[in-house]
Amino acid sequence: MPSSTRIECDVLVIGGGMAGATAALAAREAGARVVLARKAPGSTGLSGGAISVAEDPASMPDTPFAARSGVVESARRIAATRPGHPYRVLRGRLDRLWNAVEFATGQLSSVLAPPSGRNRWLLTPFGHAHAAAACARTMASGDLAEVRGTLVVCGFEGHLGWDPWLVASGAERVRSLGAPEARAVLLDLFRWEDGALARPFDLARMLEAPGAAEEAGRMLRKALPRGAAAAVFPPVLGLDPEARVPERIAAEAGIPVAEMLSDLPSVPGLRLHRAIEARLAAAGVEVLQGEVRAASGPDVPAAVGGREVAARNWVLASGRFVGGGIERRGALMESVLGLPVLASEGPFADPSVRFAGRPPASLTLRDSRSPQPLLAAGLRVDEELHPLDAEGRTIHERIFAAGAVVGGHDPASDGTGMGVAIFTGWLAGRAAAGRAP
Amino acid sequence: MAGAASQETFDVVVLGGGVNGAGVARDCAMRGLSVLLLEKQDLASGASGASSGMIHGGIRYMTSDRRVTALASRDAGYIRRIAPHLTFRIPFLIPFATHREEATLLDRLTWYATEVYVGTYDLFQPLKGGKPSARLTAEELYAVEPSLRPGLHGAVALDEWGIDGQRLCLLNALSAAAHGAEVRTWTEATGIVREAGRVAGVRWRDALTGEHGEARAGVVVNATGGWSPRWGKSNGVVVPMRPGKGVHLSLDRRHGNYGIICTAVDGRQMFLMPHEMESIIGTTDDDYYGDPDDLDATAEEVEYLVEGVASLVPSVRQSRITRAWWGVRTTIYEYGVEEDDLSRDHRILDHAAEGAAGLLSFVGGKLASYRAQSEDVTDRAVALLGKAVLPCRTHEEPLPGGDEVPVPSELAERHGVAEAIAARLVYRHGSLAREVLRVADDDPRMKLVVCRDEGIIAAEVAWIARHERVRRLQDLRRRCRLAVGGCGGLDCARPAAQVAARELGWSADQLRAELADLLEVGWRERRPVLDGWQLAEEELLRAVHRGLGGL
Repeated sequence: MPSSTRIECDVLVIGGGMAGATAALAAREAGARVVLARKAPGSTGLSGGAISVAEDPASMPDTPFAARSGVVESARRIAATRPGHPYRVLRGRLDRLWNAVEFATGQLSSVLAPPSGRNRWLLTPFGHAHAAAACARTMASGDLAEVRGTLVVCGFEGHLGWDPWLVASGAERVRSLGAPEARAVLLDLFRWEDGALARPFDLARMLEAPGAAEEAGRMLRKALPRGAAAAVFPPVLGLDPEARVPERIAAEAGIPVAEMLSDLPSVPGLRLHRAIEARLAAAGVEVLQGEVRAASGPDVPAAVGGREVAARNWVLASGRFVGGGIERRGALMESVLGLPVLASEGPFADPSVRFAGRPPASLTLRDSRSPQPLLAAGLRVDEELHPLDAEGRTIHERIFAAGAVVGGHDPASDGTGMGVAIFTGWLAGRAAAGRAP
Repeated sequence: MAGAASQETFDVVVLGGGVNGAGVARDCAMRGLSVLLLEKQDLASGASGASSGMIHGGIRYMTSDRRVTALASRDAGYIRRIAPHLTFRIPFLIPFATHREEATLLDRLTWYATEVYVGTYDLFQPLKGGKPSARLTAEELYAVEPSLRPGLHGAVALDEWGIDGQRLCLLNALSAAAHGAEVRTWTEATGIVREAGRVAGVRWRDALTGEHGEARAGVVVNATGGWSPRWGKSNGVVVPMRPGKGVHLSLDRRHGNYGIICTAVDGRQMFLMPHEMESIIGTTDDDYYGDPDDLDATAEEVEYLVEGVASLVPSVRQSRITRAWWGVRTTIYEYGVEEDDLSRDHRILDHAAEGAAGLLSFVGGKLASYRAQSEDVTDRAVALLGKAVLPCRTHEEPLPGGDEVPVPSELAERHGVAEAIAARLVYRHGSLAREVLRVADDDPRMKLVVCRDEGIIAAEVAWIARHERVRRLQDLRRRCRLAVGGCGGLDCARPAAQVAARELGWSADQLRAELADLLEVGWRERRPVLDGWQLAEEELLRAVHRGLGGL
């Protein structure tokens, strides 16, 4: 191979989602030369705008928002109660969790609001209040724990994509926990066919147009009930943060305007993805497009998209099933290095249980609401984030794992996905850069 | 309304909203009888909705029972006449395979026999509007289906009809209602009322509202399929049956344009076939004596099906399996016979000797013959009632929407929707596709595409909610395959639920409960097949519905 295609660096990060980006930026900050290889845009682009780190597992359903534990304390409780969870593995280092969250949100401050240490409670299109340690800037003023007065939940007269009554019910259901009264209103927007049938990205672009956000703001002002303190919109308030759509609506309406969290496709997810791209470029991380498969680890240069990358340390941040870091083709396996899948949760948190080859139904529970071991499957790691083999031995001193490729948590049911990505990414990035934790 | 009891009188009460129950209700109503149809869940939620979706002529039964083949072929022709929009051709290939390099004499004899056998089936094809079979050379075979494994020696091709069995069932119930029948879904018959050695009616309970009552009738038809033995037992009658569990798998797309007949590891015949927007692998057939409400597909059943198809189509191992689904066949009781060799004929049991005169149980049969079977049952019911009635016309009068098949491109242009959407609407609704699109004419929002897999627009959800007996959101799985396809409801479930909730007046809490119920049904079907890319889909689904939705 000609030498021009060869890159020498300190750290190769595999995976471009939140974990990989945090690892790359943390390693870069520690002075390392970093290459980030990714086969596709990270699954962070599919996220809904919430940075969920930990919800207090000890709180009863009727515990008011304000009386719940802070984020780090909640993570400690998860570590104490969930045997296979990455927070449990890292319980001796949880005092640095908040440093990691502040680092990641600070790096992405163009789109993320600074976290307060407490969870924000944000409405979703399903009419649910979701806890998040941090969130998109466009969402912060919709925090149910902070709104004093009536929260106006807006829908669009011309578009059936969101039902403001359903969304508002999410606040009504947690009224006794400290949520505000919520009132649904329909704004007469997108009435004609081009708007009525548009997908979220198109709606977001339409609202960026000169005058469009202002018109929405004027409609909102007319629709405001007495005592209105803030308004929540479907998550389509502009593709580009520079277009300042929420601010323009707020200026006309005279109250703070927020987006609700997004399901798929996600406009806030796209904004976050773009912010990550921009930050990686600005920080001097070299991003390579290409899949790394059947690799041998840092002792042999990796082939990435026609280039050869020789790196002293590797950070595996390849995600789980969506990211492709963990696969099941008859049996569960890690896909970049072929590492064993040994961590999960519930009965499979016990490292002596070898479950990778078991039939899928035996790794799931009938009630979909239960945490599902199959969906929590991933690498078993030690406190240094080195992947472990079946005997509990470190597989390679210069390989670190971060994010969803690490098993033991089912983010959909425990709400720690972004927290694990950020914390493990930050720790792994620093360790790979050779900086002591 | 809970606690209220009502009493009504009918000529006939039909229990079970499968294709046979709905077919009997329709026939009875069309002959002028007053009818009540009770279904404890939704229409087609049992075996009728879990059939292979074919109205084949029963080529399998030609050696054992030609009468079944003739009946099935003739009735397949009738179904084509009364619901032309709901059927589609599936050309099948029976490849000539051998396990050795060179075909043995025995192999060649077997192939010849197959050719002759299929040739004999050609005699039945005109009855159902099918095309004659064709012998393909190896070269021709690989030209039409390149995904077959190398080394095959040719094939016989034959013609069968595919159908949406769930909508067939629905259309029978809707037609029954249009002829005056009372159709109640999610309403269970909790017991029979006996008087002086006779059945005088049934007690029923609405599972959703708690309403209950008594319906008196001269004849009660038990068409509860796999539930019959248990239902009979708790009501003091015996319904002998060999219940057979059948499992199918769905792939995320059409694997090819031909159905392929394969041989399973135990020598049974099975198939991979394109069906609407997906391909289906089927089927298992095993005795099942458990609770029909508590079925799951096992890992062994899934592997058995995949292995059988992979023997001829190796690439099926790389396909994404989106779900496993199952039902309980109700074959006639015979001792000492393998499951596959059980007759698909039907039988009507009269329970008079058990002190339940007027109670008829329906056992056996197949989807393709449902209409003829229903006609038999109705004849018996009429005889018991001793009433003068109109003649059977169920083979002549079209099912709702079956009077004409509009041209999708014309509909698309007139109403301003994509042709693919119009085609799916015509497929599901026939001439009534015009009515569905009229909903969107008045309100452009209703053209919003809710599901891109199945081509469902908001107007269709609204129309179905208004006209097709929807009581629960999961009923839409059977009306238009909502949240059944590759996305499992990722894109479609919430917007469709919002539209249905508006039509049916659901509160936000009800909407969320219905959404959770819909997703739970899908989860049960995906659990046994979570592998490959389907796991990525599951991770997304959980993140959205469980994580974000709190469902």
